[in-house]
Amino acid sequence: MQLPAPAPSLVQEFTFFQREGCSMRVIKVEETQIASWTRTLLAQQRVVAVQERDERFVFDDLHQAEDLRLDHDVTLEPPLRYFLPQREELVSYERPGRYAQPELGARPFVLLGLHPYDVAAIRQMDEVFARGVPDPHYQRRRSLATLVACDVETPSSNVFAGAMGTAVVREGYDLLLTRIGRTYLVESRTAKGDGLLALFGDDALDAPPADLRRREAVWRRNRQGLRQHELDCPPEALPRLLLASYNDELWQERSELCLSCGACNLVCPTCYCFDVQDVVDWDLKSGRRFRLCDSCMLQDFAKVAGGHQFRLRRDRYRHRFYRKGLYMPERFGFVACVGCGRCIDSCIAGVASPVDVYNALLDRHPEVLTEPVEGLGKKSLGQAIEALLGREGLEEAGPGARVQVQTRATRLQAEEPAVALPQAATAILPLEQLAAKDPYVPEQATIVEMRPLTQSETFYRLRLESGRPLGHESGQFVQISLMGIGEAPISVSSDPGQETAFEIVVRRVGNVTEALERLRPGDTVGVRGPYGTAFPMADLRGKDILVVAGGIGIVPVRSAIQEVLRNRGDYGRLTIAYGMRAPEDRLFGDEIELWRQEPGVTVLETVDHLEGLWHGQVGPVTTLLPGCGIDPGHTAALVCGPPVMYRYVLSDLIAAGMRPEDIYVSLERKMKCGIGKCGHCQINGVYVCQEGPVFTYAQVRNLPEALQ
Amino acid sequence: MKKPRVAIFDFAGCEGCQLQIVNLEEELLQLLEVVDVVEWREGISDQSPEFDIAIVEGAITRPQDVRRLEQIRARAKVLVALGACASHGGVNKLRQRLDLAAAKRIVYGTAAREEFLVSGPVQAVDEVVSIDARVEGCPIDRQELGNVLRTLVLGGEPKVPNYPVCVECKRAGNICRYERGEICLGPVTRGGCGARCPSFGMWCYGCRGSVDEPNIHAARAVMERYGRTVQELEERLALFGSR
Repeated sequence: MQLPAPAPSLVQEFTFFQREGCSMRVIKVEETQIASWTRTLLAQQRVVAVQERDERFVFDDLHQAEDLRLDHDVTLEPPLRYFLPQREELVSYERPGRYAQPELGARPFVLLGLHPYDVAAIRQMDEVFARGVPDPHYQRRRSLATLVACDVETPSSNVFAGAMGTAVVREGYDLLLTRIGRTYLVESRTAKGDGLLALFGDDALDAPPADLRRREAVWRRNRQGLRQHELDCPPEALPRLLLASYNDELWQERSELCLSCGACNLVCPTCYCFDVQDVVDWDLKSGRRFRLCDSCMLQDFAKVAGGHQFRLRRDRYRHRFYRKGLYMPERFGFVACVGCGRCIDSCIAGVASPVDVYNALLDRHPEVLTEPVEGLGKKSLGQAIEALLGREGLEEAGPGARVQVQTRATRLQAEEPAVALPQAATAILPLEQLAAKDPYVPEQATIVEMRPLTQSETFYRLRLESGRPLGHESGQFVQISLMGIGEAPISVSSDPGQETAFEIVVRRVGNVTEALERLRPGDTVGVRGPYGTAFPMADLRGKDILVVAGGIGIVPVRSAIQEVLRNRGDYGRLTIAYGMRAPEDRLFGDEIELWRQEPGVTVLETVDHLEGLWHGQVGPVTTLLPGCGIDPGHTAALVCGPPVMYRYVLSDLIAAGMRPEDIYVSLERKMKCGIGKCGHCQINGVYVCQEGPVFTYAQVRNLPEALQ
Repeated sequence: MKKPRVAIFDFAGCEGCQLQIVNLEEELLQLLEVVDVVEWREGISDQSPEFDIAIVEGAITRPQDVRRLEQIRARAKVLVALGACASHGGVNKLRQRLDLAAAKRIVYGTAAREEFLVSGPVQAVDEVVSIDARVEGCPIDRQELGNVLRTLVLGGEPKVPNYPVCVECKRAGNICRYERGEICLGPVTRGGCGARCPSFGMWCYGCRGSVDEPNIHAARAVMERYGRTVQELEERLALFGSR
């Protein structure tokens, strides 16, 4: 495995990836020396170690060396909690408008007693929180930790790390302890590890070859022994298996037994989704924003403020297994299950076991182990995700084909676990950068104009206090913060060419939007972003532009309309088909009348229900499409509206001869972070905040969760 | 900004939730910086015909209670149901399992026929009038009440969590009560309490009522899996009037 050499400035902060300059030494010590070494360690720094509590084991601050246990089966909670705590302060604030990064702890600590599967999990999470927008909170905690692993002495009742290739790790820790009879072998893998190794004293002896061979025997025993459950296929084959299983009846059957309690996620060492909540102090001015570990099993996980529920119980149940076995492999290159068995321990309904589910699917789809991916029939889901992740080159082969499927025998011989560790590690940022680039801290913006557009929608023009332009592109969104209330994703509605300010339109559907409505010009809000993908306006030059908007869907596309009108000569005809429930829901009425007068612009409007004065049509927005005079080969369609609208509009556009690549949709999902971490906005394996919100229809038509 | 006026009213209940407000102690002083408490039988002697936020504790059990609650609702801009009795009927709802006359005989003996012991069906506050927020629990969690009040004063709409107690129980790092051979209502009960009972070694009593869509089918299956009966589960669910 090739790892990048760290920049010199990183070495002190974070030596995790560093192997050069480390002794790689293995010494042999007596069992009793571990206790005295732990005492020395305790005198020097904070030690978090495995200890017994009520007949189970936990990671907790170690106060005396005697409490250390290295013979534990599995800890109740994963060590991830020391890097992503169950509850963690993200932002502190003081109204009006001071947002600050909370103190990122500075106290180094040793995490002692990690089993290999947990080391593999930490390694995965390192990658998750480093890739894309780095997460300063995770990285800070992680950089302060020294990882001391120990090989498993007592298998837990549900461990299947052997089946996942994580029973033994040769990488990812600073120090590794392996019990050999009444002695321990202690191996250093990093400079940090060398430091801990030195605490055994100068007279510590190198482990003799015979003992190294006995350690090999321990590893062999664990690779074969940590299999209380057997996975009937190599883990590398899971993506292929899942591609063939999306519509299996198993999901419905088993989800009927799922309590949606979230236990499986909350004890998982590779589940990292989080919720964000504000708490305001009694002075009503200061407060803090927290993130809390969340679960994709919970009923409201994918429910948006408007009330639409994007995943029902069956879909939520399925999502977890797909995330572990397909979506994470697609995005990060590893199967995100390390076989610790904690989910099995914690599920009182007995439906959380990944091996149970995967084996049951294998019984139903044995062909996935033998047939080439092309024969699996349901490869489209994987292709769609891969294409969106910018890996079109692999499209031909399909995702499952990328991994060499090994037989079980060859895997047992393999030194390194194949699928659990990231292939290449993204480095952790140095401290000063972590502090300077905190993506969770909003900028302050002032409301320079605000007026109601309808009964429930309000228009705002905002200016960033820093004076910098927002720098958005048409179709992108921002996270709008009201301290003490919360944060909500809101589409930017104005022309990117407007440099000094930007505009949003907010429908009153939730707490943040209701509180926004009570603000007045001169008040401030927090802004993060712009985030997400945009309509590719430059690429659309020369084409006719057809905008299909339903209800508040006119808001994000308005920026594109303004951009087209500003560069009128660059585009062909502009046709706007706008549907709304009733005339009083019409947004930007005055502006629409101005659009109408521009050359080459047609605006068609319709209402669902007619009450009162109305000059347009009556019926759903699709009734306007025949009148749009679509020139299929020459038109780009920008479509935005309520979830129910897409299916009908898209099928009509395709029927009119348009190509899926020329149809752009803007999709709404629940969002908490905006930077691809919190997990809420996922459509199958795709993040709406990263790969969206603007997609082509070609990109999402094979994602079953996109346009249901 | 003018401080909102708060009035606290009680109906059938043990007044333990109001006691939790008193128990805010030093925080109570901070609360009084944010709101004016204009009527509160348990805490002050003042009475007031006008208020912005009405906090209603207790279940509604008598015809005169219904009329009194309707009057409170008419005068309040915001009405908050406080505690399990106001939110669900609470332990008062146990009475509903018996014939009313029989229940009165058991409680009052020969005095059961006295005129002043009039009683009717037990109702949660929102079975009589509309509510704007509720603070769950028997008793309520003081911190949660603080959050709800601050959110209301800031003009927000307090959200009641819609996830089961298990979420906070796992966050607290507890060992599952089922692992201890107990029946716990955590998997179907609305969270927000910080899994207080399981954290202190007791199974969850379900005082906050069920989550929006409890999977009853799954709960039955779990009972079977642990060799217990559905009846045991239902009896426990009945304690706080879970609907």
